[in-house]
Order: sequence, then C-alpha cells, then structure tokens
Amino acid sequence: MAQSLAKEFTKGLWAEIPPFRLVLGLCPTLAVTKSVENGIGMGVATTFVLVFANLLVSLLRNVIPSKVRIACYVVIIATFVTIVELVMQAYTYELFLKLGIFIPLIVVNCIVLGRAEAFASKNGPVLSIADGLGIGIGFTLSLAALGAVREIIGAGTITIWGGTPVFEMVNIFPGYNPFAFMVEAPGAFIALGLMLAAMNLIGSK
Amino acid sequence: MEYFEIFIAGIFINNILLAQFLGNCPFLGTSKKMETAVGMAMAVIFVLVMAGMITWIVDTYLLKALDVEYLRTVSFILVIASLVQFVEMFLKKSIPALYAGLGIFLPLITTNCAVMGACLLNISKEYSFLSALVSSFSYAVGFGLALVLFAGLRERINLARVPKPLQDTSIGLITAGMIALTFMSFKGMV
Amino acid sequence: MREMISMIVVLTALTAVSGGLLAGIKSGTENRIEEQIFKFQLAPAMNDIFGEVENEPAKEQFQIEYEGMIYKFYPAKLEDGSTAVAFETKGKGGYGGDVGLMVGINIDNDQIVAARVTTHSETPGLGARAKDDPEFVTQFTDKSMDNNLNLKKNGGEIDAMSGATITSTAVSLAAVQAQNLYKKLKPEILKQIK
Repeated sequence: MAQSLAKEFTKGLWAEIPPFRLVLGLCPTLAVTKSVENGIGMGVATTFVLVFANLLVSLLRNVIPSKVRIACYVVIIATFVTIVELVMQAYTYELFLKLGIFIPLIVVNCIVLGRAEAFASKNGPVLSIADGLGIGIGFTLSLAALGAVREIIGAGTITIWGGTPVFEMVNIFPGYNPFAFMVEAPGAFIALGLMLAAMNLIGSK
Repeated sequence: MEYFEIFIAGIFINNILLAQFLGNCPFLGTSKKMETAVGMAMAVIFVLVMAGMITWIVDTYLLKALDVEYLRTVSFILVIASLVQFVEMFLKKSIPALYAGLGIFLPLITTNCAVMGACLLNISKEYSFLSALVSSFSYAVGFGLALVLFAGLRERINLARVPKPLQDTSIGLITAGMIALTFMSFKGMV
Repeated sequence: MREMISMIVVLTALTAVSGGLLAGIKSGTENRIEEQIFKFQLAPAMNDIFGEVENEPAKEQFQIEYEGMIYKFYPAKLEDGSTAVAFETKGKGGYGGDVGLMVGINIDNDQIVAARVTTHSETPGLGARAKDDPEFVTQFTDKSMDNNLNLKKNGGEIDAMSGATITSTAVSLAAVQAQNLYKKLKPEILKQIK
C-alpha cells in the first residue's frame, strides 16, 4: 500500500510530469508563465482543484452513472474552481488579477478532467489524493521552471511577491539587456519547445 | 464599423491561439494532418458561435438577473458540455454526412478552452449580444486559420530531418512560436 | 428507465450541493473581496488623484442610483480646504473591452482634480497603456464641467495616445460620462456630503 502510494505520488514528478511528459494543460502553461510568481500561483490553484476533484470523484465513483459521468466530473471540478476563484479574490487579489480568466479556465484544463477520468474513477480516495497531489506538484514545478526561464531572459530579474528582486541578471552579466521577446506570446511557445527538447535529451541518456 | 473592428481584432490581433493562448491542446493534438486540422477547425467554428450566443443569454438573463454571477464557471461549462452533446446527437440523426466529418472532434471540444475562454472573454468585455456574436465568430475563424496554417507547416516539417530531441511536440511548439511572432506584427493595426 | 432516473437524480443532487456550497462560500468571502477591490483598484487611483486627504473617503462613501446603475462616491477633504468627490465611470471600448476611469471633481469650483484609469485590461498593451502612461490622463486635470472632453478627432480637446486610439476614445468617453453624471447629480451629492 505504502509502496503504491509513493509510486502514484512520484510518477507526477518525473515519469508523467505535466505538461512535458503528459502533454496536457498547455493553455495555462503558456499563458501565465510570464513570471515565476504567476507560475507558482497557477500551479497551486490547479493542485488544489486536482486533489479535491480527485477525492470527490473517487468517493462518488460507484454512485455516478457512467453515461453522465463526464457532466458530473465537470460539475465537481467547476465547483472547486469557483471556490479557488472566490478565495483568491478575497486573499490574493493581485495574483487573481494577473491570472485573469485562466483561473475559471482551470475547469477545462485537460489535466484535471484527465486525472478524474483516467485515475480517480477507478481508484480509492487515498490513492487518488496521492495521484492528484503528485501531478499537481509536478505541474507547479514545471510552471515555475518555465516562468523562471522566461522571467530571467525576458525581464532580467526574478521577483517573488513584491519587494526587491531575489535574482538579477546584471549581477552575473554586467550590462545584460532583457530580451523582452521571451515574455511575449511567441517566447512562451519557443521556451516550452526548447525545454521539452532539453528534457527529451536528458531522458534519452 | 465597430463590428468590423471586433472581427479583424478577433482573427488577427487577439488571435485566440497565438495571442490569448486558448485552445492549445487541440492545436498541437490535431495539427499533424491537414485533414484533421480542417475538421477540428470547422467543429470549433460551429460550437463556439453557438456557445457564445447561449452563454451570453444565460449570463445576461439568468446569472446577472438573479445576481448569482459566482455560478458563472459552473453554468458555462454545463452549457458547453450539454451543447456539445446535443450537437453531436443532432448531427448524427439529421446530417450524417457532416457528422462523419466532425463527429470524432466534437467530444474533444468540451475541454477545449478556446470555447470556454471566448465565452468568458465576451462577458468580461461586457459586449452586447451582437458584438458577442461577432467576436465569437471571429475568434473561431482565427482559431481555424491558425490551426490550418500550422498543420500545413507541420506536414512539411514531418518530411524534414529534425534532430531527435526536438522531434514531434518540441519542434511543433517552436513552429507555433514562429507563427505567433508573425501574428505579433498585426498589433496596432486597428 | 431506472437508469434514466438515477442519472437525473445524481446530476441534479450534485448541482444543488455545488450551488449551495458556493453560495455559502460566496457570502463568507463577499466583504473581504469588496475590501480587496477597493484596496488594489480604487484606493491607488484615488491616492494618485487627491494626494494627501484629511478624511477617510472609504469610510464616508455613499451610493447614488442613476438610470438603473449604482455609482459609488468617495468624498475627500483636500489639503487646501476644499471638498472633492471621486467616482468611477466606464467607457465603452472596442475590442479592448471597457475602460474604467476614476475621476475626482472639486465640488467648490467644479473642476476635475485628476483622473486615473482603474481597469486591468485582458489585452496587454491596450488598457494597460492608459494606465501606465500618465501623460494622457493628465490632460483631464483642471478641466471644468464645460470643457469638451472628447478626443480632438471627435471635436473635443483631448489628444489621443498615438497607436491607441480605441483606448483613448474609451477613456475620453468615460470622462464625458463623468461630467454628465456630476452635472446631473450635484445636488444629490451635496446633500449626501453635508
């Protein structure tokens, strides 16, 4: 039991890490990773929805009739998404503004529905939580990494939760000129493409 | 004039795939072959325009009227999911030829965030019904345009010798980045 | 048939529970959300408009309903002793969406103290520019209620931001709307401020 629990949890961190290995959930990945902070915020919000949606789907898996299962999953997911939306508005309003419509769009993030359908509907609640947590943390790490790459190249600094930047490119390369292309739309696609290639390269060895 | 601006902006400047990042999963998933890309594009145009109209009506006459706007996410996704189901049943019975072409793409559209995203954008911009209709249509056409362009490029790339780590999704993303770059030049056009 | 019933029952029950749960959370977070909106959107704009004030506009706010819309007014005692009021109007924008504009008007001489853009636009670079480019909105400063605050191309006195005509139009429309609102509601405002 403990072994399979650990397995379900850790698979989300490398073997099936989204969106690199599990090419799902690309929209928020590309859209919000202008900075590390946004990436982490989006990742945590998604993780919350993933864990609770997985838990509920797993608990109700014998009650939900199979013909309307997708509709039921969607209602469950949408409920948790709205909870995240309201709580973020109340407590982290600035981040909520930055993430914009991508918070309600967690509802159509294929990762969440995908896990509900592929995993939680077939497994018990404890395993489902482990699965949701693992995939969620993997997703958060990916978003943070992509955010870091884009923010360092595109803005030349890393700033987390206001205040002074924790990292400045000019300290390493004096006279570094930020390459603003990276925080624009095309930069998102290209950065993700190159990072995916790097992962393939590491994985193939 | 206003509608024309919304139309042009929706297709080129705020292109839903390349500038707003909505609907990227099917963008990469169904663009390997031109044929599937065209099918997906048609299905999205069909569903998005209908979803745009229905969600606008639901939002204005139900959610805003009853002051329960916090239920927007839940109700929109239900509307879209049932719409897709309904369209699927309707096409199967009435226009089997069209169903044969679009059928397999329809279920995928429920989780296509381009549809949900465009509906939410219409609401957040406080569009009138007609503007919402025009913008939904232009987003859908923009989606189709980007998808078909991209599929064309990908078919060519498949014939090229791509370094191993870059193959498939990786080179796809980089190509998409290049298209997004060209679309950036439309900024400031209106 | 039984299957059909169970499908309907489960889906209805689920939706009902979801609706109830969300209504509860909504009412629990409502006040806090309103505070946040004020703190992050309206308060900074108001701070820019009035500078130091001698009262607390947020606590003294009042509402006036006009043509089916509720407007919130924030009264301020300025450092020079005059009284002013700030409120937010929305200008219809093209594809960029609506632009919110906070306008502060000095009640003693009916002049605009300053105006600031409040809305975060979905489209980067459009509404955002009006927000980050203070030069455009400073054109409204010290204008009276009789100035024509439309853009020059529409017969008014305001220069558009280059390359952002639509946002400029939306902002100037919001300003004109603020003028009209103030002219119509001034007696009511005076009554509320005391």
